[in-house]
Amino acid sequence: MTAGKRQLSMVLDLNKCIGCQTCTISCKRLWTRGDGMDYMWWNTVNTKPGRGTPRDWEQMGGGFRDGVAQPGRLPTGRDFGEAWEFNHNEVFHGGKGDKVHLEIKGEKPDWGPNWDEDQGAGDYPNAYYFYLPRICNHCTHPACLDACPRKAIMKREEDGIVLIDEDRCRGYRFCMEACPYKKIYFNHVANVAQKCIFCFPRIEQGVANACARQCPGRVRFVGYRDDEEAPIWKLVDKWKVAIPLHPEYGTDPNVFYVPPIAPPRIDANGNLDESKPRIPNEYLVSLFGPSVLDALKILEAEMSKTRGGEKSELMDLLIAYKWKEMFGGFDRDPATIEWTKG
Amino acid sequence: MEAHLASGTGVEQLLDPDDPVWARAGEDPLQLIGTPAGLQPTAAIRNTWAGKKIGAVERVQVRAVHNGEILAFRLEWDDATQNDSLTDTTAFIDAAAIALPASPDAVAATMGAPGAAVNTWYWRADEKDGGRHLLAEGLGTTRTLDSGAVRSSGVWKDGRWRVVIARALQVKTSEPVAQLEPDQVTGYAVAVWDGAQQERAGIKGFSGEWRELRLAFEPMARK
Ligand code: SF4
Ligand code: SF4
Repeated sequence: MTAGKRQLSMVLDLNKCIGCQTCTISCKRLWTRGDGMDYMWWNTVNTKPGRGTPRDWEQMGGGFRDGVAQPGRLPTGRDFGEAWEFNHNEVFHGGKGDKVHLEIKGEKPDWGPNWDEDQGAGDYPNAYYFYLPRICNHCTHPACLDACPRKAIMKREEDGIVLIDEDRCRGYRFCMEACPYKKIYFNHVANVAQKCIFCFPRIEQGVANACARQCPGRVRFVGYRDDEEAPIWKLVDKWKVAIPLHPEYGTDPNVFYVPPIAPPRIDANGNLDESKPRIPNEYLVSLFGPSVLDALKILEAEMSKTRGGEKSELMDLLIAYKWKEMFGGFDRDPATIEWTKG
Repeated sequence: MEAHLASGTGVEQLLDPDDPVWARAGEDPLQLIGTPAGLQPTAAIRNTWAGKKIGAVERVQVRAVHNGEILAFRLEWDDATQNDSLTDTTAFIDAAAIALPASPDAVAATMGAPGAAVNTWYWRADEKDGGRHLLAEGLGTTRTLDSGAVRSSGVWKDGRWRVVIARALQVKTSEPVAQLEPDQVTGYAVAVWDGAQQERAGIKGFSGEWRELRLAFEPMARK
């Protein structure tokens, strides 16, 4: 595949994500309220370690190994977590609010999109977890696109956004099997595959993605990968602290993560134990590959610099003093635009 | 196989797989073979299906009847499960299709080639009464033509699908579809998808190269 002209990217600083799901809800409100989209969360935030959404997606295959497409399997609706219906009417309008509790109608579920939230791993006082927000990675080598026999998936030349043409899609779901991140959803009403569109209608108007702009944690940077004036290039290419999730899946993602650094461990006497990190390195390597260790070293070095009173361009970038500067020029206020439904 | 001529039989009768007219037509018992994983159009599909069974339905009984204007095929096959709704992200729908060469040199196994199209009449268990009129010029190139040209009906009972797929012999279109007339000899092929086995697209049972189909005619009726 020939590389396009430019590539839009996102960097997420996992040290700042508070798991509030504002991103998830802003995406939901904007894009997945139509028929057949109830269970879709194009943006998910899950606790790691944890099974994720869809459940155990990291064991579902797909992607490439040594450039060879790997067999994949389809997640079930239950793996994603079904859109439950609640007894809202009964609780709020039935006059029984003092007796009935809010509960899910029908069969009690045993899984949902954020079922294992805040469980994490490790034992007190050294338990650990962090939040991992995920969207479609708008990969440079999209497994979804390669898998489609209908050529219904395209990667835009001008910005690298990966989109599904719903007129060409026949609902075969080979893309869903092939995406190793399991970020494709099936709309059973429209009989088409759907996924994160990187908010392209906003991007085209100079407005950053909803998940990024609404994030109260200033977690998400947006912009062109090659814009050397903007944070993405600085974090990914210059400072090399932002790295893709599961690079071994072979799709070359364009969403990057600043890896998490947890507080120090506490030993049996209640003293700080800095002999090893709270989040085991092996665990982070299993998610981000070996380059995560280099990224952590750089982060730690820059953190200690600022502790010593020195300035650090990297720390200033990550703190994101100026909110608008996180968006690589896509900082227009959406309220200044008159939006029409196409 | 001969498409039995039943002049004066209405289309609703033809669409009823239990109508007595079907008993008068001869039967072609077809063997279906799974389209091999190696022939699937993308590496992801090839590698996902390599070593898996393709073509769950191996036998289909075919009959054909025409009334001088409309040609109908009745397909019958055993299928333990009726898959006629998209109940889950992993659910796929039972389906069947009749393929006809739209030009004399069209190859069935590849679903045609540029300039040598294959015309398909497609039935899907969740599209009640409907049918799709499709044209392909090679694997993965299938496109839907005019809606309404193909009609179909399907009944699942006691582990068996009985499906009728029908179209007018002649259709007005600029597309290179099969145009038929009584006394003509053409080819036909059959494909069946078993939804329970996640069969869809090129993952199907297929009858192979064209079978002969002769449309019966009444010599007296000829001018
Ligand atoms: S994350 Fe999955 S759906 Fe998104 S571009 Fe990559 S392979 Fe395709
Ligand atoms: S909105 Fe920001 S802080 Fe909240 S869950 Fe999403 S990425 Fe994390």
